[in-house]
Parts: sequence; C-alpha cells; structure tokens
Amino acid sequence: MWRSLLNTLRLTGKELRAIRRDTVMLVLIFYVFTVATYMVADAISTEINDLAVAVVDEDQSTLSHRLTDAIQPPLFKHPVSLTPAQAEQALKYGDYILVVSFPPKFESDLLSGHAATLSIDVDATAVAHAGNGAAFMQELLAGELSTFFTPNGSAASLVDVVFRNRFNPNLTSKWFTSVMQLMNSVTILTLILAGASLIREREHGTIEHVLVMPVRPHEIVFSKILANGAVILGASVFSLLVVIQWLIGVPLAQGVLPLFIAGTAIYVIAVASIGLLLSTFTHTMGQFGLLIIPVIIVMILLSGGMTPMESMPGWLRVLMQLISPAPHFVAFTQSVLYRGAGLALVAWEIAAMAAMAAMALAVALARFRRVLAN
Amino acid sequence: MSFAAELEGVSHRYGSTAALADVTLKIPAGCMAGLIGPDGVGKSSLLALVSGVRKLQSGTVTVLGGDMARTAARRRAAPRIAYMPQGLGRNLYPTLSVRENLDFFGRLFGQKAEERAARIKMLLEATGLAPFPDRPAGKLSGGMKQKLSLCCALIHDPDLLILDEPTTGVDPLSRQQFWELIDSIRARMPGMSVIVATAYMEEAERFDWLAAMDDGKVIAQGTPAELRAQAGAETLEEAFIRLLPEDERAGHKPVELRPRVVSADKAPAIEARHLTKRFGAFTAVDDVSFEIPEGEIFGFLGSNGCGKTTTMKMMTGLLDPTEGETRLFGEELKNSDMQARLRIGYMSQSFSLYTELTVRQNLELHAKLYGVAPERRAARVNEVLAEFELDEIAREMPESLPLGIRQRLQLAVATIHEPRILILDEPTSGVDPVARDAFWRKLISLSRDKGVTIFISTHFMNEAARCDRISLMHAGKVLAVGRPADLVAERGAQTLEAAFIGYLQDALGPEPAAGNTDFDGARSPRSPLRQSLTRLWAYTWRETLELVRDPIRLFFALMGPVILLITVGYGISFDVDDLSFAVLDQDQTPESRRLTEQFSAIRQFSEEMPLTGTGDMTARMGKGELTVALEIPNGFGRELHQGKVPEVSLWIDGSMPFRAETARGYALGLLTYFSEVYARENGSADSTGVSIETRYLFNQAFKSTNAIMPSVVMLILIMIPAVMSAIGVVREVETGTIANFRSTPIRKIEFLLGKQIPYIVIATLNFWMLFALGMVLFRPPFTGSLVALAAVTLLYVIATTGIGQLISSFTKTQVSAVFAVAVITIIPTVNFSGLIVPISSLQPSGHALGLAFPGAWYQTVSMGTFLKGFGWADIGVNTLAIAGFALFYIVAAVFALRKQEA
Repeated sequence: MWRSLLNTLRLTGKELRAIRRDTVMLVLIFYVFTVATYMVADAISTEINDLAVAVVDEDQSTLSHRLTDAIQPPLFKHPVSLTPAQAEQALKYGDYILVVSFPPKFESDLLSGHAATLSIDVDATAVAHAGNGAAFMQELLAGELSTFFTPNGSAASLVDVVFRNRFNPNLTSKWFTSVMQLMNSVTILTLILAGASLIREREHGTIEHVLVMPVRPHEIVFSKILANGAVILGASVFSLLVVIQWLIGVPLAQGVLPLFIAGTAIYVIAVASIGLLLSTFTHTMGQFGLLIIPVIIVMILLSGGMTPMESMPGWLRVLMQLISPAPHFVAFTQSVLYRGAGLALVAWEIAAMAAMAAMALAVALARFRRVLAN
Repeated sequence: MSFAAELEGVSHRYGSTAALADVTLKIPAGCMAGLIGPDGVGKSSLLALVSGVRKLQSGTVTVLGGDMARTAARRRAAPRIAYMPQGLGRNLYPTLSVRENLDFFGRLFGQKAEERAARIKMLLEATGLAPFPDRPAGKLSGGMKQKLSLCCALIHDPDLLILDEPTTGVDPLSRQQFWELIDSIRARMPGMSVIVATAYMEEAERFDWLAAMDDGKVIAQGTPAELRAQAGAETLEEAFIRLLPEDERAGHKPVELRPRVVSADKAPAIEARHLTKRFGAFTAVDDVSFEIPEGEIFGFLGSNGCGKTTTMKMMTGLLDPTEGETRLFGEELKNSDMQARLRIGYMSQSFSLYTELTVRQNLELHAKLYGVAPERRAARVNEVLAEFELDEIAREMPESLPLGIRQRLQLAVATIHEPRILILDEPTSGVDPVARDAFWRKLISLSRDKGVTIFISTHFMNEAARCDRISLMHAGKVLAVGRPADLVAERGAQTLEAAFIGYLQDALGPEPAAGNTDFDGARSPRSPLRQSLTRLWAYTWRETLELVRDPIRLFFALMGPVILLITVGYGISFDVDDLSFAVLDQDQTPESRRLTEQFSAIRQFSEEMPLTGTGDMTARMGKGELTVALEIPNGFGRELHQGKVPEVSLWIDGSMPFRAETARGYALGLLTYFSEVYARENGSADSTGVSIETRYLFNQAFKSTNAIMPSVVMLILIMIPAVMSAIGVVREVETGTIANFRSTPIRKIEFLLGKQIPYIVIATLNFWMLFALGMVLFRPPFTGSLVALAAVTLLYVIATTGIGQLISSFTKTQVSAVFAVAVITIIPTVNFSGLIVPISSLQPSGHALGLAFPGAWYQTVSMGTFLKGFGWADIGVNTLAIAGFALFYIVAAVFALRKQEA
C-alpha cells in the first residue's frame, strides 16, 4: 500500500517533468486559461443588453416619437429609423433583431377612440435574444403608452412587481460565461492531455518499459491523472482568482474557494479518467482525435452551461446526467460560486462526479493490460 | 571517370550537434558505392543530402551533374533518383497491399496505368513477390518488406539508387537474397549507380568502392581490398577499427569469452514450455520450448517479425501466452507477480527511457521503482554510473547522446536492481563495432562474474558466435538450438551465417524461381499536366484506401457528425420550460390564490411545494431546486380591492442569467394578463386601446430547434473535417513516409490537394447525411435555395479541411496537431459564430474573432437558406469570404510545408 503510493508519486514526478518540457502544450494551456477565458466572458452575453433595434415610423407623430425615444440603453441600442423596405432587408440579413413599426395615423386613430395596432417584428432565428427582447420591448411600450394616456393616473398594471434576482442581482452574464468558460477549458484540456499522455507512451514504447518494472497498472494510471490533474487544477485556480475574480470582476461568495477547489479536483479526476478510458479504445492519435472532438463538444454544449438543462428533452437530460460529469459540475459551480452553498447542499453533485470517476477508472484499468498487450 | 555525386566542403548540423564536418567526397558513377561506419556518424545525413530530401546547410552537392541547392535542379533530378530511407519498410504503407504500394509509387512518377501494370508485373516476378500481390505490406516479413521497398524504388528506372541501411534487421538469408537481387538488377541496368550505407562490415566486401566514415568525417576511401591493405587487416571490421583515430579505439580490446562454470542440479533460470501466442488469427509464436541454465548467455536469432520480441515479452510477463507457460527458477511466471519482476532486467528494442529525465534521474527513478533501499540508493546509482562509465554524462539528457552510449545507459538501467536475469531485445542494433565490443565485455562480466543469466537477441553473427548457446527462430518456430560451434558442425557449414541460411532454406523450401526480368517498355512520355494530375491522384487514392481500411477512423468520420447532430440538436435549446416555481403566500385570500394559479396554469412553470418562509426559500434556491419564487405579502387582496397597487416580489435564481431573464419575461406577461383580466372583471375600462402585435419572422413557431439545426451543421462541418485532415501530413512525418514526398517529383500543392480531396468528399457526404437526418428528426422549414447551400457547403468544407491541412503542415507531432485543432477552432466556433449568441449581439472583440473563421460566414448562409429563404443573391459576400478562406488556408499550407527536411 505504502509502496504503491510511493510508486504513484514517483511516476507523477516523471509525468510533471514531461509536461514541463512541452512548451507548445504549456503555451496552449496558458492561452486557454487566460486570454480565451477573458475573451469569451467579455464577448458573449445571453442577457438582453444593447440589442440592435430599428423603428419604422410611418406616423411621425408626438406619440410615435415619444415611444421611439423610450427605447434606450442599457436594454436596447438607440433605435435606427428605416423605411419598411429597408427594415425587411435588415431583418433578413440579421442586422437588427427587433423592428418596431408604427402604422400611419397611429396617434390620431387612438385619440379618436379607434383601436390601433403597433407591431414588433422579431428575427426569430436569434433564439437566444428574440423571445426575451420582444417581451421586454412589449413591456416597455405598454408602460409608456399607459403613462401617455393617463399621465397622472395609476400605473398600467394593477399589481406592482418587484423583481429580485438572487445570487446575481443584475443578471450579468459575464459572471456566468466566465465560470462556464473555465469549465470548458478544464474539459478540453484534461480530456486531451490525459488521453494523449497514454497514447504517446504507447507510440514511443516507454509504457512497456514501465510495465516490466514492479509497478502495477493502477499506479501508472493514477500517476497520469494526478500529474495532468494537478496542472489543470492549478491553472484553473489561477484563472479563477486572477482572470475571473480580479480582471473580470466577478464577486465570489465568501469562503467558497476550498470547496470549489475540492469539487474541481474531483471533476478533473473524472474527466481525466474518461480521457484515459477513451484512449484505450484507440491505437493512434488520428483515431483519438476523431473520437475526442465529439466527446468534447457534447460535454461542453450539453452541460447546462450553454443552455439550461431544463430545456433538453427528458431522455437526453437523464442520459447526460448519467454519462457526463459536466452537468454535475455546472450545477456544483453555480451553487458554490454564486449561491455560496456549503458542502451539504452540493454533496449529491460531488458524489455523482466521484462515482463517474470511479466507474471510468475501473473500466480503464480493466482494459489497460489487454489493450497494451496488442 | 564520372561521378554520381560530388560533395565539396559539406557540413551539416542538428542544433549543436555536428552530423557532417566539412566532407569532400566524389562518389563514382556506374558502380556499387558503399558508405560504411556505425550509426550516427553521418551516413544517413550524407545520403539525405545527396537525394535532396534534406536541405543543404553549407558546401555544395552535385548529383547527376545538377547543383542540389537549386530547386530547379532538384526538380530535374528527382525523376532520376530513387531513395530508400532507413528503417524496415519505413517508406511503405502498411495497410496497402504489395501491388497498391507499387501502384502508388508508379503514380508518383506520373506513369500511365498500362506502363505501371507492366513494370509491377516485371518487378514482382524479379523479386519473387509475385505470389503475394494482395498481401498488406504491414504483414510481410522483414526481408519481404525490404524487397518491396526496393521494387518501389526501382519502379521508375532510376539512374541513381540510394539505399540507406537496406538490410538492417533482416535475417541472413533475406540479406543474401537482397544482394543477389541488386546484382541481377545491376546486370540488367548497367548504367545505374548505386550508393549504399551499411553498418554490416561483412556486406561491404561485395561493394566496388567504399568510403569509411566516422564522426562526420570520411576516414578512408577506395576498394575493399585497398582499405584492408591500408589498415593491414584481414577483415573490413578489423580494418575499420584500425582506421579509427587513436583516441577512439584506445579502449578497444578484443572480446574474450571465458568458459562458464556449470553448476549442476539447479532449476533452470528460464524455462519456456510450449509457449504459443496468437493475435487474432495470426500465430506469432508457435509452440516454443527451451531451457536456459543460470549464468548462461543465450542468443536468440531470427529476422524481424519472426516472433523473437513476442517471445521475449512473454518471458518478462509483459504478454500472457495464449498457451504454455514460462518458469523462472522453477516458479511459474504470472503477470501480476511483482517479486518475479525484481529478478528481471529488460531492455526493449527501441530506446524506451524517459527523454525528459537526465541520465542520473533515469537511474534514480528506476532505483526507486525497483525498491532499492533508500540508504543504498545513492551508492548504487553512483556505482552503476561508474561501472558503465556514465559518470561524466550523468547530467545530460539521453536524447543528446550517441546511440552506443544510450544503449549502455539502457543496460545500466536494466541492471540497477541487480537482477538475476537480463532479457535484452536487440541491444546492439545500429551500434558501432567498438561500442558493441565494449557492451559485450560488460555482458560477459555480468554472466561470468555475477552469474547473471542473459537472454539476448541479435542480428550480428559475430555476436551470436559469442553466446554459450543460440536458438534460431523463424515464423514463430524454433528451428534449432545448440552451441554455435555444434550448429555449424551439424550443417557442415563454414560459418554460423551459412549454417543459419541452411536452416532457413530447409524451413522455407526451395525459393520461388525468379521469372522473366526483362522489361522493354521505355518511359512513355506524357504531358506535364497529366503527370501532375496522376501524382495528385496518387495521394488521393492512397489516403482514401488508408481511411477505408481504418474502421475506427471511418466510423467516427461518418458517425461522429450524426451523433453530434442528434445530441446537440436536441440538447441545445432556448425553449425554457418547466421552471421550478413556488409561492410564499402570506395573504391567503382568493385574489392571492388566483395570482398563483396564473403561474401554475402554464407549462413554462412547474409548481413545487409552497414555501413556508423566507428561510425555506433561501435554502431551496441555494440548492438549485427552485428557480422562481413568488412572494405575496399580507394584505394583497385587500389592497387590490381598495384600488391601491399592491406589491408582490418575484425572486429569481440569477446564477444562470439566460434562464433568469426568460423567467422574468414570462412572469411579466402573466402579471399583465392578470391585471387585464382582473380589471375587465371589475369593470374598469381597458386603458389604452392599443394592441401590440409581436410577429416572429422566419421561425413563426419560435422553435429553438429550427434555428439550432443550421448552426449545428456549421459547427460539425468545421470540427470533424479539420481534425480528420489535421492528422494527414503530420502522421506521415511521424511514421517516416513523408520521405516519399520529399524524394519524388511530387509538388507541394499536388501533395496537399491530393491528401485534402478524400476529406472534402467525406465532409460533403457528412453534409448530406446531416441534412437528410436533420430534416427527418427536427423538421425545420427549408425555404431557400438548396443548390446555393450545397455549393457554399462545398466551399466551406474545402476551407475547414484546409484549416486542418494548415495546422498539420507546421505542427511536429500528431498530439500537438489534435490539440491545436481543438483549442484553435472549438472556442471561436462555439462562442463567436452565432451558435448561441447572434453575431450582431457580440461585443466587438468577439465579433471580429468570429469573422476571422469561416464558421460565422457559413452560419449566416445555412441559417438564411433554411429559414429566411436565401438564394444566390443574398449570399454573395459570404460565398466570396468562404472561398477566400479556402484559398488562404491552401496557400498558407503550401508555404508552411517544407519539401526538404531542415
């Protein structure tokens, strides 16, 4: 037992030396955890913010001007005035997501007691922004209309709602995307690093050399997970503290760091085990590359980090929660980093990730000898 | 006298190591010229420079009258030169059959189909390969591989044939046949010049002219007889050692084999009982038995691929035999037996120590892993360093050491734990005679002084002669076992080599008679364009065959996209449903319940147990069980009746902003609706008379899948084609077949396009599969021009396979190519190409990065043709941009790829 631990640590030292000497790999790791994380957090937002809006004003009345003026940042960009034909083209090429149209005689119809219709055209191919953008626009215009007609009267609505967003008061998506990008980086790098480290040893023949020594396969596998995992874990903690907290300015709940690191460590172990397991199914880097790309994409996109898990069909949600540790890690991260949840609240997610790590490791070890023999 | 190649002041360095130092040499034409000397003295570098596969650093090389520094001259010379690189069948494609390999080479020289067929028939008959035209090259024996390599080199009637160590690793019989074959070909083509490098001094006797090399310099040249006379030696091997500079042979003493003291009545150190190993249908080792007493040096001879290495791996426990057993000192060897491993030291055929550790670190790591006691460890490492004369280089990295010293280091590592048995798989291949003799003295001392049992495989007959006993192996079977002298006597042969050949001939039966070797078809002239297309086709055809014969790669190339479409197509959705919702109703009036019902009535919210208090809400939201909580304060109903505006609070979990915002949008709509209904029921008039009509264009149903599918197609068609083609070039660099590109007349653009075409075809096929499957599964409307989409898709996959080609042409290993593709393409395409966030809503940096990849441009086209009724008129700019990317990647790859090795 003691010997086994020592052997694992010795082999881990060797793995770490190998990583240190691979400059290209180190540069890529650095890039992914700093530049890429920052860029994605900065550029991507699913929240309604500065949405591009155009107005087709065929009325040119006080009311239409007043409503147009009400469309303002931060939710919307200042609207651009277009002709109906231009608006149609612009929607088609995706230049604007919303186009508000005031029909001719809009104001006079309303003042003379006739009904009038104001239309909002939405480019519904921009699914992430179209629905919410339209809802907010509708709300905004309705409110503005009722103050226009009853200037000193009560509000349009009979009920006043106070919205309180817990854990992320302004619904800043930067917070979310930066942390999710961190998870994506961990997933991409750990899968490839762990899998490639085994394939490389097989291709160079060094694995044979280790296998004739009094070293057991699990010591080799553990050392690879330990070494690659430690590098990735170190890089992600660096990224969390320096890039996410300091540069991007995401406030992390008090005292959550130890729990987050522990959970990330388990996630890294799970992903590294999966990477090693997948590498036992392939003989060459060419095969491994083709296998790993779909795995990475599915793990990233279907983790709940891009779109909510609730939106997936039930069968797929269950399937992903059974085979991929990523949804559990996303749930864990949200709870810990935003909600400041303690161990008791995330125990289930941690247990699920640990179970997957154990399962992948068990299968990888079972396949290890058989695969290396051929 | 004319010269095949003239070198003038040629020097060549790899980093800080000098491979050639100011070499001036004239190699005569029309004869068989040899370069002799051990590995690492610069023979291969010299031949690579002569053949033009390596870039000249300094000096001049003139080959067949052309200056090899000039591109035009190299291009003229390429069709006249044939180059066979070092390594058994290293320029062959293992999954291609014998005939397909030859076809490939014929095409590389732009030959017509009939001409190729005629030449292949002639070459196969001349070399005795005619019976196996359809056998994959990877399944040939070492000797046959070399014959096939030679055929491939001769397919275009070269004027200069360059062979780099053609017989290393080949059994003596095949070696003999190989040289006979060369002689017969030379008899038929008397004008052909041949330059051969070899480390076997015995072979050099048959050459017309020799240059002996050492340490990057030519130390002697002339006919074999002249060299022997110059050194006053009887054999070339002795002559070579005598010709070496004083300091290098200072340590050299002849090897003396002392007699072994036989101790009786002991269990044999190694005992193999009916060992058989099968890999699938192939029997690598067939019922092998032998016994090796303790302290004996037991030699194992046979060609590559005859089962030696497999047998040795079964001795070490690396492989489990299919049948039979191995006993070490009378105990059965089991794979999991850690104690047995402590008794064995193993040295594998290739260098297998860690190149990232120094000499001392390697020794220390092994000492630790072999459990040398901590207090003994430092002393033992120093002892071994001294014993194997490694102390001066203890801090160096193994990669920078000459082969001979690396092998000594491997032996040192194998003996660090003082094993009772040493299993050494071809430890001296490629090592120079002086170092080999030193190595053997070490072995003999281990055997005679320490009683270590040594099980060693070798190709060198003079080494075999030093063993106590040897065993001859062929095709998985042991042909003979005994003392070398006894075997020679038994066959009545002159030498051990002759005896070995005799045994092999008995095992093989009579050699197939060489057929007609005449070929009268001259080189038939073809237009340059036809030749160019034939060369391009050579790579397309071969890449396709390789892909088709790799079922794992083919499966993922075809099924990967399908799996991705199904999972991502269903999984990525912005339709937010089933938001968990609970109410904290402190009012408990009909009005408050009515408001609550509004929420529970629609499918977007699924109601959970009511909340008991604020603490309960915090806890449940903290766990993520609750996304939306509605708090209705006390007095809500009363205030509503009184016409006041009561306040309710809606708590939303903001940790996923998109979900929070959508929940908020839904809640707003519900409250507005509630107000309207309540107002109408209570008689207050509708306030404004305006109806706001929201029209969802292009996707009336506002279904996520309609919009996601076109984006997913964009994502899949960049990732899969890029990673497929990224392996292409760099794999050839790693396996060594890139030599064929460097040494034949093929141009860079022909090579790159030829390799790209199969992946373009696969990616186009992927598109149609995705299109058909997507239409069936997700039923999105398709409103635009399918012809336009198909045409732009073709350009797009040319661009995306181009990304892979470009990455492949500058990365050094397959690992880094895959890594680079993943990191460089996944981040921008997932984030900045319109998959999740529309391109118009990106921040400027993300927007710019998105447009720097073809994905963002293609996404507009696929989305437009699916949902917005786009035709040709709408996609002009995007088409141009994607075509521009395609062209740019190809051009950049041509510039990044080097036709000559540095």
